[in-house]
Amino acid sequence: MYKYIIRRILIFIPMLFALSVVVFALSKAAPGDPFTTMLDPNIDRSVFEERKEALGLNDPIPVQYFRWVSSAVQGDFGESIVYNQRPVMDLIKVRFWNTIYLGIVALFFTLIVAIPIGIYSARNPYSLLDYGATGFSFLGLAIPNFFFGLLAIYFLSIQFGWFPAQGTVSGTDVSGLEEFIDRIHHMILPGITLGLAGTATYMRYMRSEVLDVLGSDYIRTAKAKGMSDRNVLYKHTLRNALIPIITLMGFEFGVLIGGAVITEQVFNYPGLGTLFLDAIINRDYPIVMALALIFGIFILVGNLLADIFYSVVDPRIRYD
Amino acid sequence: MLNKKLWYLLIVLSLFAFLLAACNEEGGSDPGDEEEPAETEDPAEEEEPAEEEEPAEETSDEPVEGGELIGAMDTAPAGVFNPIFYSEAYEANILDFTHESLVGQNDNLEFIPELAHDWELNEDQTELTLYLEEGVTWHDGEEFTAEDVVFTYESIASPGYVEAGGIRTAFVTPLEGYAEFNAGETDTFAGVTAEDEYTVTFHFAEPNVNPLYYASYSIIPQHVFEGVAIGDMPTHAATLEPGEVIGTGPFAFTDMVEREQYVLTRHDDYWQGKPYLERITWQINDQSVISSLLENGEIDFVADPSGVPAADYEMVSGYDNVEIIEQTDFGYQLMGFKMNYRTTEDVESGTINPNNWVENPNVADQQVRQAIAYAIDRPGLVEGLLYGRGSVINAPIAQQFWAYTEDVPQYEHNQDTANQMLDDAGYVDADGDGWRDMPNGDEWVLDLAFPTGNQIRERSAPVIEENLEEVGINVNLMQPKEMTAYTEDIMTSDDEQEIDLYLIGWSLGSGDPDPSGLWSIEAAYNMSRWNNPESDELISQALQAPEAFDQEYRTEVYGEWQNLFATDLPAVLLYAQNKIYAFNERLNGVDPLPYAFANNPHLWWVSDAQ
Repeated sequence: MYKYIIRRILIFIPMLFALSVVVFALSKAAPGDPFTTMLDPNIDRSVFEERKEALGLNDPIPVQYFRWVSSAVQGDFGESIVYNQRPVMDLIKVRFWNTIYLGIVALFFTLIVAIPIGIYSARNPYSLLDYGATGFSFLGLAIPNFFFGLLAIYFLSIQFGWFPAQGTVSGTDVSGLEEFIDRIHHMILPGITLGLAGTATYMRYMRSEVLDVLGSDYIRTAKAKGMSDRNVLYKHTLRNALIPIITLMGFEFGVLIGGAVITEQVFNYPGLGTLFLDAIINRDYPIVMALALIFGIFILVGNLLADIFYSVVDPRIRYD
Repeated sequence: MLNKKLWYLLIVLSLFAFLLAACNEEGGSDPGDEEEPAETEDPAEEEEPAEEEEPAEETSDEPVEGGELIGAMDTAPAGVFNPIFYSEAYEANILDFTHESLVGQNDNLEFIPELAHDWELNEDQTELTLYLEEGVTWHDGEEFTAEDVVFTYESIASPGYVEAGGIRTAFVTPLEGYAEFNAGETDTFAGVTAEDEYTVTFHFAEPNVNPLYYASYSIIPQHVFEGVAIGDMPTHAATLEPGEVIGTGPFAFTDMVEREQYVLTRHDDYWQGKPYLERITWQINDQSVISSLLENGEIDFVADPSGVPAADYEMVSGYDNVEIIEQTDFGYQLMGFKMNYRTTEDVESGTINPNNWVENPNVADQQVRQAIAYAIDRPGLVEGLLYGRGSVINAPIAQQFWAYTEDVPQYEHNQDTANQMLDDAGYVDADGDGWRDMPNGDEWVLDLAFPTGNQIRERSAPVIEENLEEVGINVNLMQPKEMTAYTEDIMTSDDEQEIDLYLIGWSLGSGDPDPSGLWSIEAAYNMSRWNNPESDELISQALQAPEAFDQEYRTEVYGEWQNLFATDLPAVLLYAQNKIYAFNERLNGVDPLPYAFANNPHLWWVSDAQ
């Protein structure tokens, strides 16, 4: 098992390397550079030419790539170009934990809603709640994130005042436990919004998996042995039904980390997604590269974790 | 075993649910609740837009000390809080409160005393001597002197400034000795010198038409940055960290939650008197919720750079607790004619040489450009897309300037005139396909390019297409591109010879009306590649010493230039948008400048201060 994990982690290295080459080439292939859109008639364009030269943006692309790689392997991701020379890691640090927490909260909401309802729907198919859940999942998939977010803000935050509308914390003067609670309070609306589509998907998966498993021979055998319904459900059905969900979650984690752009924007929740989008639009190459690597690592780790959980849930799967 | 795990999970979940319930109860400190006094203020004075005319009430007439304000902007500042290195409007929103310049501007855009109470100019306008206020202190208590001014300009002029990310060299290039100092040939900068502790002189290399403009740059403290290499300044704590950023302004930047809140606290020893407000907090909010937050009093004002979107004007002006100030923005949107293209060699070498330009036959005829201007329903754009919150303009100088003139060809929307002019010019439908063709019988299709980003501008493109098609012009609406790719197409590598019409907007500076940055032949931003020597002649005449020391002379020359522009028409000016500032009625003392909401914020006060 440990050997397997180490082997998998070692494979990360060439994969991340390949990823960095592709992302670097693509971002350089996009037209323009960080200074193209700095349009200001009061500033002579030769100033930007000078800066480009100083930053080495006029060098051949392979030269630029190797310069980036050689400092990146030493842990130096350089400085942002658009955010006047601020170290990339500085800019990422603030948003990194915001994003992780939001991802966890979203995943948490997804699971506590989707799994029980999915199970219930499968055990009582075509019941009122099953139809309700089906309706909800279609709605959840169909409703755009930003729209749901705005509805949530309008009703839950502005009309009823239950949740804060924007940001991650109320102010600079809260600390300790109060701050912790405040931060969680701020995460609930964006968490639900971000988790909505996932909830809908998982609910459908869970329902069909459980239905599938319930119809299989070993469940009939277990029931024939006189096993209680509860035991059949928890010992036999659930374990088998969870396998595809775990695969999905492996991917989902990577998606939640990088793909929360819209939710982050609507709730003004500073996270990595918005930073990534801005960096791409502004051609802020150092940030694009650092974030691409971080997202890559998350997707790889998410998949690794999914594989490890497989063997926990399903003893037939063993790695060595 | 799994059974047990599920139980644990359930316990954790219920704990979490309990926690949520608990913090809901504690939610008594909800921002919504706290602001209630603001909402329940006397409903009788709702209808009064001007604060001076408020009916006498115990709280309203006399400024009171204390209280705080929350302002909203829709994008977080990049985070460089140093006047000589910042680059965008969101950072400026903070620096406007924390830093000051020697001279400011008034409603008529004339320069007025700020940190300098008086000044003298020599005969040929090569030397400007300014006398500084005495007893001005920085936020950290040190005294402000002429050395700070010298230090600021020296920093901008110093070698390595541009490499470090600075872009404001325009303020020092006309000063004496800039080239030598910047090249490292001299150790002292001859451009700005301190005569004594409170007197500073600007030396210009050539007679300067608008010397005060160059003295209007924000001053940074020497005692904080002394000994810091210019290359380290952008990452220095005094540039990035709240509490470390030091200015002379009425408020100090003291705290932040990065990307969410930026707290400004009053500077008690402010030289123009202690500000009334204790605290101003900038909060970052998504554009889509700002209006609602204004309504329920969670934020107090929204101003530069975006203000209230035109589409929300009706709604926001209906809020009982909100006052609105609407004024014309400094700038305009235009549809340019790509009159010339550069050659591929020039694009590759980055040169702008009008002798090599290739003319674009599609829009080469002046009469055709004028006909197109007649065909576009500009009042319709203002009504339909800006909901009337803007104006049609005809000359490319900001309307607020003394130099602006309305006395130019107006191009009122008239399809008949447009049709007639196109017929006269020989652009008639030769092959019977329903579209006009070139006089030589070639097919005539105009490619209209536009960028994404500004939604109003994006939506104006199909309207313009429709307007032009109504007079028989075949327009090909190109696929919109994101701004960087678009700018590359129309400005940086414009050798494709495809684009005929392009949309772009400019915001103009309030310092001087000189249009050379946008419209002189060799300017990079002259995206039309308008090649009219007469225009360059007038532009340089307007800056020619000593005649140009006389403002009336400049007004006259700029009037002539604006006429030339509107006749030769390298671009149709579409509209100037209005800036819509909105603020809670509890805020008093607001007196915006034509270009900025924040003016004398030390005189702002709130009527419900405790």
